[in-house]
Amino acid sequence: MRDRGEELDASSFDPMAEPVRPRLLAVRQPLSRRASAIAGVLAFAIPFVLWCLISYVPFLWHPLVLVTDAGDKSVPGTHSYVSEGQLVDRADFAARNAELARAGARQARGERSNPIYLQPPHAVGRALYTAFTTPPEGTGDVWLHESLWQSCQVIFWGFFWSALLGLPIGILCGTFALFSRLFEPFVDFVRYMPAPVFGALAVTVLGLADEPKIAIIFIGTFFQMVLVVANTTRTIDIGLLHAAQTLGASRRQLLFHVVVPGVVPALYRDMRILIGWAWTYLVVAELIGEKSGLSAFIYQQQRYRHFDNVYAAIIIIGVAGLAIDQLLAFGARYLFPWESGNTRLARLARGVRRVLPDRLAPARVI
Amino acid sequence: MPLDEPIALPSYLDHPPEVAARVQELAARPVVMSVEALTRTFEGTNGPMTALSRITFEVRKREFISVIGPSGCGKSTLIRILAGLDYPTGGQVRLDARPVVGPGADRGMVFQGYTLFPWLTVKKNVMFGLKMKGVGNAQAEKIALEWLEVVGLTAARDQYPAQLSGGMKQRVAIARALANEPRILLMDEPFGALDAQTRCSMQAHLLRIWEKVDVTVLFITHDLDEAVYLSDRIVVLGANPGRILEIIDVPVSRPRREEQFLSGHFLATKKRLEDLIHRPEVALANAAPPTVHAA
Repeated sequence: MRDRGEELDASSFDPMAEPVRPRLLAVRQPLSRRASAIAGVLAFAIPFVLWCLISYVPFLWHPLVLVTDAGDKSVPGTHSYVSEGQLVDRADFAARNAELARAGARQARGERSNPIYLQPPHAVGRALYTAFTTPPEGTGDVWLHESLWQSCQVIFWGFFWSALLGLPIGILCGTFALFSRLFEPFVDFVRYMPAPVFGALAVTVLGLADEPKIAIIFIGTFFQMVLVVANTTRTIDIGLLHAAQTLGASRRQLLFHVVVPGVVPALYRDMRILIGWAWTYLVVAELIGEKSGLSAFIYQQQRYRHFDNVYAAIIIIGVAGLAIDQLLAFGARYLFPWESGNTRLARLARGVRRVLPDRLAPARVI
Repeated sequence: MPLDEPIALPSYLDHPPEVAARVQELAARPVVMSVEALTRTFEGTNGPMTALSRITFEVRKREFISVIGPSGCGKSTLIRILAGLDYPTGGQVRLDARPVVGPGADRGMVFQGYTLFPWLTVKKNVMFGLKMKGVGNAQAEKIALEWLEVVGLTAARDQYPAQLSGGMKQRVAIARALANEPRILLMDEPFGALDAQTRCSMQAHLLRIWEKVDVTVLFITHDLDEAVYLSDRIVVLGANPGRILEIIDVPVSRPRREEQFLSGHFLATKKRLEDLIHRPEVALANAAPPTVHAA
């Protein structure tokens, strides 16, 4: 045992002592692996448990009453409309029972219930399953997975055209002051116009099918993308450009051998965020012209008051977005081995490229 | 003699015979780079500010020349102009008699900050300049591996810069600059960010490379020991405006060894640098005593 009165100095350091456990709330310190994993699970578990509590615990919220027995229907009164199978306010239900009590008639019965728009987890879970197994109600209606596929196509093409133009223009703006002055003021101006305001115009010009929807996604992401890409391109370390210049790189070589490979990992991250924007615009885009995709499905199910299906579709959008993002994050580890330090993969890629004939090998500097 | 008495140092102008011979031999070599009345003014908020005023000196073939000075003396501006990354507002720089108008592969540069391309492996970093010149892949790879051998980093050829220590990064940067076979190697405080031990070994390493390789070096530093240890000549700059106070022929014989750090000539030179940098008025007033030629 250490003497309590001992001065706290280097000699009091005990190498066998337990390592200090990282605290849960330490400013700008990483969590332990265990705590981090648990917190990640809780991130989804807490909202889910809250949802379950509100759905299944009868005395939590439940502002309505589902009438199971309307009591004596012959008794007149201001609340005589209360009948079996109805969802009524608790106050109205109590008023009807008061009327019935005054007449000495049979009491109405019911159970406390949530509004129709708050579906319990099991109903949404069932809807997720039945959406893929039972045919749609109306003729001409689409299955959930068909509408999901339709949405994915709209997102893909909208984002594809946006990136095809936005990436090169953004990189040019971030590299050359002239392009920046030529493009950015106008782009900044259009950026503030909400994409949906171009909806009517897009339908007039491009018709009712997918084209106007793709156009809305394009408008919603392109102008943001130019500015984001330009700003990211400007973050390249000027020292790298100077070094390349002293190594004899021409202006063209600076652009293609330094600026582009230097910012590609950051641009890739930007694209992940911008795909999120594309999903946001999807919902408006699909409601213009001929309604289509997941938004049409949601709109239709809401009119049928099938809120379990509405939630199922919303969850599918979330899952699809998260899946795409995680897929892209995973891809980054292969594409940019110098960032993750994953040289094993890089060696593999180099090996593959060595086996390929020169003409087929992708002409990358990596 | 009491221990705390200052040691009687020789004059820094007193050249031992082999140094005197080397100084003469160096002065006879062809000029690689000449800096002629170089002036650089910046437009500041309080009117123009002169960063460099009429800087004039010459760098001779295979010379190791250092530029030293207090912060704000414009030594970084100077090397950026020599590299062609900045431009003078007066005077000019000539490389092999041709005026410098922009950056080019004939002047290699090693920066203080790490400027290796993070997306390229060590080998590809060294190949960069060659590829820009249009040298074929196989040939560029062969040359790069030779230079990696010179800096002793053959084993790290497939690693990415992020996996290297600071000293290793700067060795790759040196190999990358030398692979282009530049006429002059410009080094802007290349070891400034390294810890003391690594810096010492890097200095010795650089001297060995310079002895082996046919290259002229212009080295910027603010470290007095580093300047004396490495250089044939030291250009001492003063601040406000940046101007040359003195150009010193280092009276320490070559090849340099670490024991020389404590030799009389080394310390005398260091003392003179210290006086020039910290007390320029006094140092310049006690103008150099008449040149004493040793025996």
